[in-house]
Amino acid sequence: MTAIGRLLDDFSRRRRPLRSLGASGQLGYGIPTPAFEAGLARAPDMIGVDMGSIDIGPAYLGGGKMAPTRVGAKRDLRKVLRAARRLDIPLIVGSAGSAGARPHLDQTLDIIREIAREDGLAFRMAVVGSDVPRAEIKQAIAAGRVRPMDTMPPLTEADVDAASHIVGQLGLEAFRRALEADVDVVVLGRACDTGIFASIPAMLGFPAGISMHMAKIIECASLCCVPGGRDTILGILDDDGFELESMAPNRAAMPSSVAAHSLYEQADPFDIREPSGRADLRHVTYRALDARRTRVEGATFEPAERDTIKLEGASMIGHRALLLAGAADPRFIARHAEIFAAVSRVVRDLVCEDTAEDYRLGFRLFGVDGVRAWAEPPAQMPREAFVMGECIAPTPERAEEVIRTTKQYLLHHGYEGRLCTAGNLAFPFTPPEVMIGAAYRFNVFHLMDVDDMARLFPVEVETVR
Amino acid sequence: MRLDSIAKVIRSKNAGPCLLTLDVMLPDEATFAYVAERIGALRRQVAQRYGRSENEVAVLPFAPALAVKITLPREIVSGDVGDRDVYGAQQHAPLLDIEL
Repeated sequence: MTAIGRLLDDFSRRRRPLRSLGASGQLGYGIPTPAFEAGLARAPDMIGVDMGSIDIGPAYLGGGKMAPTRVGAKRDLRKVLRAARRLDIPLIVGSAGSAGARPHLDQTLDIIREIAREDGLAFRMAVVGSDVPRAEIKQAIAAGRVRPMDTMPPLTEADVDAASHIVGQLGLEAFRRALEADVDVVVLGRACDTGIFASIPAMLGFPAGISMHMAKIIECASLCCVPGGRDTILGILDDDGFELESMAPNRAAMPSSVAAHSLYEQADPFDIREPSGRADLRHVTYRALDARRTRVEGATFEPAERDTIKLEGASMIGHRALLLAGAADPRFIARHAEIFAAVSRVVRDLVCEDTAEDYRLGFRLFGVDGVRAWAEPPAQMPREAFVMGECIAPTPERAEEVIRTTKQYLLHHGYEGRLCTAGNLAFPFTPPEVMIGAAYRFNVFHLMDVDDMARLFPVEVETVR
Repeated sequence: MRLDSIAKVIRSKNAGPCLLTLDVMLPDEATFAYVAERIGALRRQVAQRYGRSENEVAVLPFAPALAVKITLPREIVSGDVGDRDVYGAQQHAPLLDIEL
């Protein structure tokens, strides 16, 4: 019998609270062993891990690369996979490989198969890819079934073609279809983090609002605690609410900290959205069970009028090269804006003699405007500042040519009132020019109506051994 | 009163790649009530400091966490050309010295 089969069988004989272990909110960056082992000792019914987020920016989705290292991802996957097989409970992995597109999913599956081979594990695994075929999106655009999210412009066919990968955020129905394939391990491409922990409750008939609320909290492990952290958390769900307990003894899930977690990375703290509907937190209560445990009740669920999927896509905009240097001359720092503008012109005249101005060159002066484009200059200029030059060009060679030329002319630029005529910059090392590879931007962040999720995102089942 | 003298947390983060969300958490009910009563003034000052019109700035008291949530559009979509803070985790600084 598979792990999910065993769980369903157990519940069919005796209805009881469901015990879910949120092992890690960002798999690949380390799962502290003491808390994880403490969680395993509490007879959990499942282990869930999330690998993804859109917060990490467009480069991973665009470039098909995982955010953590392969070594880090393998170490953490091994930990959760071995534990789940040891206890014979389902393991659910969401947003495989950070961004969840096919290359990320394939890298994750490759690691899982490698672990199984090396450690002699055998299991049934269901996989759901989240890549959305371009033709489907174009049809939906033509039919007026794609809408922008937040401040994005309307989606065009050109955007769809330009994106190197487009994924849809799968919801709990996709997790559920994967589990219904009777498996031990579920791995999804890009997915709503709530689906990881709300899908088994949905199969067992727990109330959707409460389940989704718990899922939204425990997918971040012990972040809802005081002090917040990455340690494993246990969520115990019944028909009226759920209880939270961090598996690290120094972390306390308190009513105030659990409530505050609803604010985290959410525009509306009363609302958790999923393709199938939304959980409403307006009437939720948080009650301390003791100094370290909180009970939560009251979330309700409102089904969506139609099924939608949130699309995410990133397109390449060129290749990025940087110049990294410091400055300590007060005259240079005071006049940095005009110096940067003048050097940009000098560079353009040199590198565009027989080529078009096909690149973008910009500067930040950390200490002044590195982190924010402030409306006003600071009251007092800093004693030192960090100079970052950034070029995005169509080829790596072009970006490098522009940034190396920039380095030379910024170093030696003669500006009015200059005293430091031997050089304007302090290089912490050489070369001070760094090529950091392809640059991407999010060009798709839209909502698409979907009639048949199962057709668009089929479940693939394999036996791993 | 200055916001950073009464809040126990003032933080910023993306809410998706297009929005910035700022949380101001207050230490007790009295302070929360003080801020919640001044939502209009807070919204006005936030709009001005972030260079936005008031109708682009949402300010929402969240009593369960004694917090006020502020959400506004990012100037540049996360990670796009010219962005300075991909995660949006350091965009709270203009809030610190708001007087309420």
